[in-house]
Amino acid sequence: GKLLVIPIDGSHWLSMLGVIQQLQQKGHEVVVIAPEASIHIKEGSFYTMRKYPVPFQNENVTAAFVELGRSVFDQDPFLLRVVKTYNKVKRDSSMLLSGCSHLLHNAEFMASLEQSHFDALLTDPFLPCGSIVAQYLSLPAVYFLNALPCSLDLEATQCPAPLSYVPKSLSSNTDRMNFLQRVKNMIIALTENFLCRVVYSPYGSLATEILQKEVTVKDLLSPASIWLMRNDFVKDYPRPIMPNMVFIGGINCLQKKALSQEFEAYVNASGEHGIVVFSLGSMVSEIPEKKAMEIAEALGRIPQTVLWRYTGTRPSNLAKNTILVKWLPQNDLLGHPKARAFITHSGSHGIYEGICNGVPMVMMPLFGDQMDNAKRMETRGAGVTLNVLEMTADDLENALKTVINNKSYKENIMRLSSLHKDRPIEPLDLAVFWVEYVMRHKGAPHLRPAAHDLTWYQYHSLDVIGFLLAIVLTVVFIVYKSCAYGCRKCFGGKGRVKKSHKSKTH
Amino acid sequence: GKVLVFPMEGSHWLSIRDVVRELHARGHQAVVLAPEVTVHIKEEDFFTLQTYPVPYTKEEYRHHLLGHLQNFFETEFSLKLVLQTMAAVNNVSTFYVRSCRGLLHNTALIQSLNSSSFDVVLTDPFFPCGAVLAMYLRVPAVFFLQSMLCELEFEATNSPNPSSYIPRLLTLNSDHMSFLDRVKNMLYPVPWMYLCHVNYGSLARLASDLLQREVSVVEILRHASVWLLRKDFVFHYPRPFMPNMVFIGGINCANRKPLSQEFEAYVNASGEHGIVVFSLGSMVSEIPEKKAMEIAEALGRIPQTLLWRYTGTRPSNLAKNTILVKWLPQNDLLGHPKARAFITHSGSHGIYEGICNGVPMVMMPLFGDQMDNAKRMETRGAGVTLNVLEMTADDLENALKTVINNKSYKENIMRLSSLHKDRPIEPLDLAVFWVEYVMRHKGAPHLRPAAHDLTWYQYHSLDVIGFLLAIVLTVVFIVYKSCAYGCRKCFGGKGRVKKSHKSKTH
Repeated sequence: GKLLVIPIDGSHWLSMLGVIQQLQQKGHEVVVIAPEASIHIKEGSFYTMRKYPVPFQNENVTAAFVELGRSVFDQDPFLLRVVKTYNKVKRDSSMLLSGCSHLLHNAEFMASLEQSHFDALLTDPFLPCGSIVAQYLSLPAVYFLNALPCSLDLEATQCPAPLSYVPKSLSSNTDRMNFLQRVKNMIIALTENFLCRVVYSPYGSLATEILQKEVTVKDLLSPASIWLMRNDFVKDYPRPIMPNMVFIGGINCLQKKALSQEFEAYVNASGEHGIVVFSLGSMVSEIPEKKAMEIAEALGRIPQTVLWRYTGTRPSNLAKNTILVKWLPQNDLLGHPKARAFITHSGSHGIYEGICNGVPMVMMPLFGDQMDNAKRMETRGAGVTLNVLEMTADDLENALKTVINNKSYKENIMRLSSLHKDRPIEPLDLAVFWVEYVMRHKGAPHLRPAAHDLTWYQYHSLDVIGFLLAIVLTVVFIVYKSCAYGCRKCFGGKGRVKKSHKSKTH
Repeated sequence: GKVLVFPMEGSHWLSIRDVVRELHARGHQAVVLAPEVTVHIKEEDFFTLQTYPVPYTKEEYRHHLLGHLQNFFETEFSLKLVLQTMAAVNNVSTFYVRSCRGLLHNTALIQSLNSSSFDVVLTDPFFPCGAVLAMYLRVPAVFFLQSMLCELEFEATNSPNPSSYIPRLLTLNSDHMSFLDRVKNMLYPVPWMYLCHVNYGSLARLASDLLQREVSVVEILRHASVWLLRKDFVFHYPRPFMPNMVFIGGINCANRKPLSQEFEAYVNASGEHGIVVFSLGSMVSEIPEKKAMEIAEALGRIPQTLLWRYTGTRPSNLAKNTILVKWLPQNDLLGHPKARAFITHSGSHGIYEGICNGVPMVMMPLFGDQMDNAKRMETRGAGVTLNVLEMTADDLENALKTVINNKSYKENIMRLSSLHKDRPIEPLDLAVFWVEYVMRHKGAPHLRPAAHDLTWYQYHSLDVIGFLLAIVLTVVFIVYKSCAYGCRKCFGGKGRVKKSHKSKTH
């Protein structure tokens, strides 16, 4: 079959790659389309790359990423940070939106896609550009995602998520909340739409223009046949799910390669103490000097060899046991038996690699869902969370010594690891199966819940409840009135009869 | 590992049996626990049968369990029938309670079970005596079921169950309901809830005595680590479910054997017209004579060879093309390319065998969920439903000719069949995987939703909503009052000042 892929730049793309490779090996033809200005999305041997022109440059995208990484370390007051973040999100998302708009208005390019007669479309709906293309080309869509902000994924799948035990993202709540935490959860639920509207509603307007019918963001997302979600209930809290959701958390952990000579040498030289892997993800390239020196000092105080992926200036106080590298094979290093701990920004990829390889973590969440990820691992006793802005060298040293020397951390992560890896089918195979399924059957309409065709008050049966209440009240009213009338007739009448009797006899 | 199996009588046992056989094949030891008085559960070489004495005889049991079935051929579907059904359910459950008490108070047997230290209890919770036993023995449990009375499986797992698009059992509603359908959907379960309360109440009391703490049926059911549900979304409407629910619909269709010589001969002799398979399930042994003759007449009018599983008296007008047998290998016959149609009572086993083998159906639902099953297949255009009480020979003849000669029926059932059989893993393997999973990890606590620990008003966030409403109202009230006060001060005050001024100047 023929598959069209519309990915999103960044780490999201990297885990999609495995699926594409597998699909190609199974004999499918894969076409990936991406803006000309892309950082991670490059030509590959197992797919056809088609790029479309966009009104921004590679440098703009890089700059946006770099700035995002840097802004994390700004020591601004809370409100200023919120305003700055808001402005940045608005700026970046309008840049990406303009890319999408350029694609959809590129008549020649769109026509060539139409003529290719694809069987299905695989896309990351984090930005719903692919969803618009799917509707424009009338292709069944498979989504590949971690989670969408503001619970858009739950809304678009009609998946119930009771606020009483399903923590909102960014709330730092767990699934066991006290009363005030549940109040917080509810308040976030009531307000999150305002924040999301900035990013998502322009896509609604764009789609309305392109498809020439009124569509909301929810309408754009809900036709997806299958949602491949990079979640796993070992990491995430159990909650209701829908039949067209397929959980493939840990898909990025699978492909393990032998270490290169360079890294093999580092690991072997580490001796009995082993190594610590340290990476804050591809977004963070530079850390403010003072912070970097504090980190370097803490790293120098532990006996393990530290492999630190860092592209910024080398801190002057870097100890001998710390090796700075521009890039490291994170999953392969964590899979080595000598890996003792993992210092991570707790992005979902890193967390799953930590779980899958059973390495306790020291987590420094920077933004987005990273706080939630860190919280989940901490409550399960598999890691320690540090506030990257406030932490001192001592804090980091203590955290590292705790997760390495306190056996409970290792035990907990090993338990999670064994639960996570015990599954009837590998996530990569599952993802490939469902993409092929949608290609074979041209969608999966039998998995679409009828809830999509109801209004909100019908969904909650408010009309039925109102109707039944009205009946009950009417019956009660009638019974009451007729009783009252009957009573008046009986007693009131008697009274009057008596009276009239009296007056007669008198 | 060691598996304790506590099955239910009847066709329920037949599909759990396949799982037991597979577990045995993988090197596990299975002990099947059953009352001395059983109809279907018999000794076999892949498990140890452990029986316990019960305070009733086989005749009593047979009479009460099967006696009421005769009603379905004699009574119109009416309030009377509903009441009869309820009485029958009550009757049967009284038996189960007696049987369960017999087991749980059998100290010697319980002790020997306890000392065997099982790794898991595999049980059908239709009547959850096995669940109580698992709780008592402190062994994790895996449930294996089609569905429960009052849809208790959803309440017990805390799956959301909106009545707006999920048709309730026995309502014959589809997932797209009109307003009145939805009213019916909401009201219909009410009397059943009473029945369930009565039925399961006595078991809950029995369990409370045994465990020496107050437990409800729902709490007993929540002991399950994993629910293996014999459902499939090709046949059931898509709906929310929980991570510990695993769908294994069609599990009974997996093992197909070659036909015996006798049946092979029948099939080969059928010529180009092929065969029709006719069975009303293992529960129906006799049909009233008049009805049987009508059926026999209709069957004689079609060119196909009929294989009719019937243990009652041979109808005198039986045609040459109809062969009466005491038993038939239903799944193997349906799997034969010469199978043209399937006359069934539309029990869930039969329906799945029909779907899996792609044979269009003529359905004569008798009781329970069979009506719903028939309705579902009919709306999907894969079969025709007949009312067994009202149908004439002509109706049956027409129905048979329609499903055999009208190609759309064959096409629809083949489409359903291809969707149903297109799955990443076979249901039997999936079921066995989850039983082993629970054995390996001693349960699956990470799949237990936190919702179980909430009260109903907490679950629906009513306390939070009330609290927030109270705050909003208080704020509104205070603002209003202070505004009113302010206004009075400003305007009212001015007025007074003016007045006093006036009075002074005067």
